[in-house]
Amino acid sequence: MNIAVILKQVPDTEANVAADPTHPGKIVEDTLKFILNPYDEYAVEEALVIAEKSGGEVIGVCIGSDRAEWAIRTAMAMGIHRAVFITDPEAVESDIITQAKILASIIKTLDVSLILCGRSWIDLQEDALAPALGHFLNIAHVSNAGKIDVDCLKATVIRELDGGTLEVRVTLPAVISCSKELNEPRYPTLIAIKRSKNKEIKRVTLSDLGMTPGTPRSFVTDLQTPSSRGKGKIVTGDPADMVKEAVQWLSDEAKII
Amino acid sequence: MAGILVWAETHNNAIRKSTYEAATVGKLLGRPDDDMAAVLINDLDLAQSLGTLGFSKVYTLEGEIFNQYASEAYCEALAVAAEEMHADTIILGATSRGRDISGRLAARLDGVLISDITDIKTDADGIRFVRPMYSGKLLAEIRIDHQPAIITARPNVFASGEYDVIEADIAPLAITDISIKTQVNQALQAAKGVLDIGEADIIVSGGRGVGGPEGFKAIEDLAQALNAAIGASRAAVDSGWIPYKHQIGQTGKVVTPTLYIACGISGAIQHFAGMGSSRFIIAINNDPESPIMKKADFAIVGDLFKIIPVLKEEILKHRS
Repeated sequence: MNIAVILKQVPDTEANVAADPTHPGKIVEDTLKFILNPYDEYAVEEALVIAEKSGGEVIGVCIGSDRAEWAIRTAMAMGIHRAVFITDPEAVESDIITQAKILASIIKTLDVSLILCGRSWIDLQEDALAPALGHFLNIAHVSNAGKIDVDCLKATVIRELDGGTLEVRVTLPAVISCSKELNEPRYPTLIAIKRSKNKEIKRVTLSDLGMTPGTPRSFVTDLQTPSSRGKGKIVTGDPADMVKEAVQWLSDEAKII
Repeated sequence: MAGILVWAETHNNAIRKSTYEAATVGKLLGRPDDDMAAVLINDLDLAQSLGTLGFSKVYTLEGEIFNQYASEAYCEALAVAAEEMHADTIILGATSRGRDISGRLAARLDGVLISDITDIKTDADGIRFVRPMYSGKLLAEIRIDHQPAIITARPNVFASGEYDVIEADIAPLAITDISIKTQVNQALQAAKGVLDIGEADIIVSGGRGVGGPEGFKAIEDLAQALNAAIGASRAAVDSGWIPYKHQIGQTGKVVTPTLYIACGISGAIQHFAGMGSSRFIIAINNDPESPIMKKADFAIVGDLFKIIPVLKEEILKHRS
């Protein structure tokens, strides 16, 4: 079974992301370290495990600027076989629904039975990729999967919902977004890292896909650092006294109890 | 196109808080009162009561395909209602279902999606939606240039307000010709009273300082006394002390409760990214220098195992 995995490069989770004062709506990128979206690692791992069992290729699909090649190479070092990469600025800067449409048109050119992606893009804080891909490919989607069992034509997936879980069975092909509960992503070995450098990354453009960049549908007009939290109260000493003060504060200032 | 459509999300045959919050967002858009409709799926006995939230019209759909949650069916139901009224704006709560439906719906309606909004700004420049990005490290203002817009509202941010009470006009709709490729095998409800932490009003959260799985007993006790949900730092989850669904932070859930009580959590940037916009933060930690203590509204320096039981008793006493 061939599997497509959607890859996205994002700023490192430890990074202090700052607004660019000279380009409204943009972030300062020069000093940032970028990584493969952490949730995508679970998708890559799951795809590799399923493909190892069933036989077949894992193909990465990525929209990003040139620097995102590094994220693709990371997934390749983990074991994915090849990748399709689109770097048109109009694609990179488009909203998540438009990106889903572009990704769907790439996926249609691949012979895959399963599409996996991370549960969320941690940069834009968006979970919409799998649902939108589901529509554009006219297939089922399951968000936030904690367990995936694939047999030949169907997959049984357990997902979190409203604090409980939902077990669903979907007809393949289907698109599934992956959560941390699925697996423990492998660390690439040195030899795998070396080999990954020779794996094929096929670059495609919007015009190759027969798509024309539409007009942008939304604009980030401003980015602000949230106002830092005011200096709070710090208490030390006897637990009973501290707690009394805390409960007083909860009742008088926070008005919660 | 005209009109705002709000998804009336229900649970156990009751209107969910997310529906009130979505109605508040609709009202904040400042349109004429008769411009806002709701779509209600199953639970049709609740239709009339939606008039008290200011909806002039309630589109209803019912059927077996909605008995269990399958996103394709719910998405199609909302799409049919949106097309019927030519909605230019569709608002959902950013609950687990709302997040799941909205992405597919935006694609289905060829719309633009703005997820998880926390504020709306209206001035001479028009309407901008405010939402966190980069896990709350930045707040973005977004202008939209396309219709329809699909908006999801972050839970606990938009208070339910005063709504005009209107006699709602009820309009039944049906979805036809849809092949659902998802079959629901079983749904396991969360334990009684345990909410998705993304929607909880109060969260008691434990980190490395809790020391082990048995240490979470103290966290659970306090959470129960406060009718709160239980959260955890990545350190606690990665140590296997508590399941991942409790993890708060950049690679867990992003939450906005009224009160967040951080116990034995140092407050790394990734954790703060997930809870920094909580309305009030209490931190309990034996290290006064840990980052969380400088960001908390009320920081208690000391051994959490000594403080939590006393805190629980005091809260119960205060309540009675």
